[in-house]
Amino acid sequence: MKNQLTRVFLIIAAVILALYFLWPTYKDYSFRQQLGALSGQDSITFVDQNLDAMTEAKLKRLKLGLDLQGGMRVVLEVDLIQLLDDLAKNKDENFKTIVRDVRTQVATTELAVIPLFVRQFQDRGIRLSRYYLSIRDDDARITAYLEDEAEKAIDRAIEIVRNRVDQYRVSEPNIQKQGGRRIIVELPGVKDESEVRQLLQGTAKLEFKLLKDPQIAYRVMESIDKFLTGITDVDTTGGKKPAAVATQQKPTSALSELMGESAPATTDTTAEAKFVREHPFFAYVRPDQRGSGEGYVLEKDRERVVRLLERPEVQRLLPPDFQFAWSAKAQQMGEDGSKYFLLYPVRQTAELTGGVVTDAQASVDPEDNRPIVNMEMNTEGSRDWARITGANINKRIAIMLDNAIFSAPVVQNKITGGRSRITGMESPNEARLLEIVLKAGALPAPVAIIEQRSVGPSLGEDSVRSGMNAAMWALLITIFFMLLYYNTAGFVADIALAFNMLFILGVLAGFQATLTLPGIAGMVLTIGMAVDANVLINERIREELAGGKTLRAAIDAGYDKAFTAIFDSNVTTFLTGIILFQFGTGPIQGFALTLMIGIAATMFSAVVITRVVFNAATDKGITPNFG
Amino acid sequence: MRLFKATSINFLGARNVWYLVSTLVIAAGLTSLLIRGIDFGIDFRGGSEMIVRFQQKVDIAQIRTALGEVGLGRSEIKTFGIEQDILIRVSEDINAAQTSTQIKEALKVGFAANPFEVLQEQRIGPKIGKELRTSATYAIVWSLVAIMAYIGIRFQFIYGIGALLSLAHDVLVTLGILSILNSLDLGFSVEITQEVVAAFLTIIGVSVNDTVVVFDRIRETLKIHRALPLQEAMNKSVNEMLGRTIITNGTIFVVLLVLLLFGGEVIRGFAFTLAIGQIAGTYSSIYIASAVVLDTEKLKLSKKPKKS
Repeated sequence: MKNQLTRVFLIIAAVILALYFLWPTYKDYSFRQQLGALSGQDSITFVDQNLDAMTEAKLKRLKLGLDLQGGMRVVLEVDLIQLLDDLAKNKDENFKTIVRDVRTQVATTELAVIPLFVRQFQDRGIRLSRYYLSIRDDDARITAYLEDEAEKAIDRAIEIVRNRVDQYRVSEPNIQKQGGRRIIVELPGVKDESEVRQLLQGTAKLEFKLLKDPQIAYRVMESIDKFLTGITDVDTTGGKKPAAVATQQKPTSALSELMGESAPATTDTTAEAKFVREHPFFAYVRPDQRGSGEGYVLEKDRERVVRLLERPEVQRLLPPDFQFAWSAKAQQMGEDGSKYFLLYPVRQTAELTGGVVTDAQASVDPEDNRPIVNMEMNTEGSRDWARITGANINKRIAIMLDNAIFSAPVVQNKITGGRSRITGMESPNEARLLEIVLKAGALPAPVAIIEQRSVGPSLGEDSVRSGMNAAMWALLITIFFMLLYYNTAGFVADIALAFNMLFILGVLAGFQATLTLPGIAGMVLTIGMAVDANVLINERIREELAGGKTLRAAIDAGYDKAFTAIFDSNVTTFLTGIILFQFGTGPIQGFALTLMIGIAATMFSAVVITRVVFNAATDKGITPNFG
Repeated sequence: MRLFKATSINFLGARNVWYLVSTLVIAAGLTSLLIRGIDFGIDFRGGSEMIVRFQQKVDIAQIRTALGEVGLGRSEIKTFGIEQDILIRVSEDINAAQTSTQIKEALKVGFAANPFEVLQEQRIGPKIGKELRTSATYAIVWSLVAIMAYIGIRFQFIYGIGALLSLAHDVLVTLGILSILNSLDLGFSVEITQEVVAAFLTIIGVSVNDTVVVFDRIRETLKIHRALPLQEAMNKSVNEMLGRTIITNGTIFVVLLVLLLFGGEVIRGFAFTLAIGQIAGTYSSIYIASAVVLDTEKLKLSKKPKKS
């Protein structure tokens, strides 16, 4: 029979293909078994001898998802608003308001950032060319330019994240773009989330900024302090002004920003409360007693001071090219061991930026055993660095990473050769992470971690064990039941089921898909659903036999008539599989994929394989029993 | 072996009773949903969640005290499967970066003699949760529409509607029963996570499978016995397919039970949802899908004579 031959050929081809795809998985498994038995020198020789084959097998094997092997999945979102802000020139109040508006809108909706941003300007009748490109360019061109820059920024961000992850040495990381501005990073086997956070999130924008003169810094702090008490015009009134009037002028909102609930009651007459009333700013920011220009802020007060300094009325008090910058770490000081952040007065424009750094190396300071990172600069950077250090001997230069100051050493002498070092890290590990991010380069815009999931190795092992257990029991029960209920025909269906499992695994391996726990659940469910096709066929054959047909005719009729039901019902299930794949992430997609592959494999094995077996049997005069 | 002899149950004759039963179940479920709201899991709510495994049994109240030391005493704390495994959930993430470190430190201090290991950690931003909710709703609606369209084309439009209603029935019944079970506080609750949404879509997929098989038989019966009234043709088809319906769904149900018992804590909610949906789906493909088609056809017939 020609049909029979075609079917046999199809089955053999499918089996060979499935085995071919599963071969690397088997090889990988057997390599690991062999390696496990060896130890010491033997295992090294074994790896040396089989390195290529092992890498090949590892690359092509059926991979386990993060939920099964343990690891971390992080979704990053590139801060496009910051990018738009960075790209703009001549920023004014209007611009800043729009940036703020867009930021709040994007936080709660899923709107695309750039169209929203552009519309805001158009609604207010402001031409984009005021801030971007040149005055002759129209809005459409600038929008295209911004879209292009955003696209480039995201691609560059992915590249840098990949660089960092590679240097962090994770085996088989997976980094991919999702939607317009998201990056998915999957790190198998990684556990330490705070390290990953440091590794991925920092933009690694390195800047060298000169510190402002301590005298100026103190005067700025003093003016903020006076502004908060409300006695800005202290000189003109000659100090004779009644207290009541001064109270009226108090910038109450700024004050409450700083003090919140902790403001001392007016009835409080202790010296402390009096000081807080008279010098609100200095109560929170303690200027350095040696007159070095920094202020000390208690760890718990940091947020309040940050918000106060951000207020426009406070910003107005700052002289041009003046900026307060925070230390990266809080330091333990004082007798009571409380931790303080340092507030440094620095110039707004950076003397030099991290783009010039060509290499970084984590190390230990031989003098005090503290972790450090040594940096090397390119020729241009070295020249600038020599000039800057030469011109500022005995002044202080702050080394800032992502707007936080790591250290602010005094320049001792002119540094030629483009060397510099960062100190102020808490641990050698932190220094190593810093080395990685400096080497990989700066991100074009900050990224935020918007989702993070990690699975520990023991939960993964639990999941594999229970998943496999469930699959095994499901398979055993189903096989036994089919045998019992349909006799020989049940046995044939069981053979089809075994092939079905082989095909599902083969196709998964062939697609380079990963096996997840829901994926295993999908296989278990497929075991249950797979017998449906054979139940339909077998029930139909029983009916036809009962109707008085010969066995051969009944089998033919059974397959023919059951086919539309099998086809239509499976197509509809497949449809939900497709939609599920679209909706889901990671593990869920694994489930959708196994479900879809399972349906396709079921159709094939239940319809083609069992048919071949029945035909062969009846040709040889064997009578299959339909129970 | 044969469990089912040829039956001739008048399934569709009793359809009004079953309409009522379904309506009551759905109404009860919806009431519970309205009172409780949907029990969203971490995926959809956003926040931080951590599952830790202690070496020895621990008391939840003790964990609460330990977490209270760092101001996280109001977190949701419950066991996860076995008594050593504890799930801790903090809904707000004001300073998400520190929350997990804070929890770990607090547990280290509070349970110095009972070391623990972090099994799983999830932190989901509020935006992600919102997006997932939208896309989950879309996924369910689209799969219903896609199925309706396919069946409408392969059979008749009215069959598409019948399938749609029976699938919507399955989703609502399952959602309602989950909500009712959660409110009964049986020490086991199912939250709507991504996995559970996947289970809902699978329910749709498996239930429609059943419905289509019955429709296919009706289509065939109507072709052979042209004179047979629709109700009889439907009853005949459902009866003829009864053996298959029960064998197949029985097998799937047993398999789901295996998954529920052996599949582990992580997919328990998923397996449980599927099992409930499976029962609802089997029932609805017998009682709802065909019944809707029948009643619509009857309505058409009763209108026709009046016009002529």
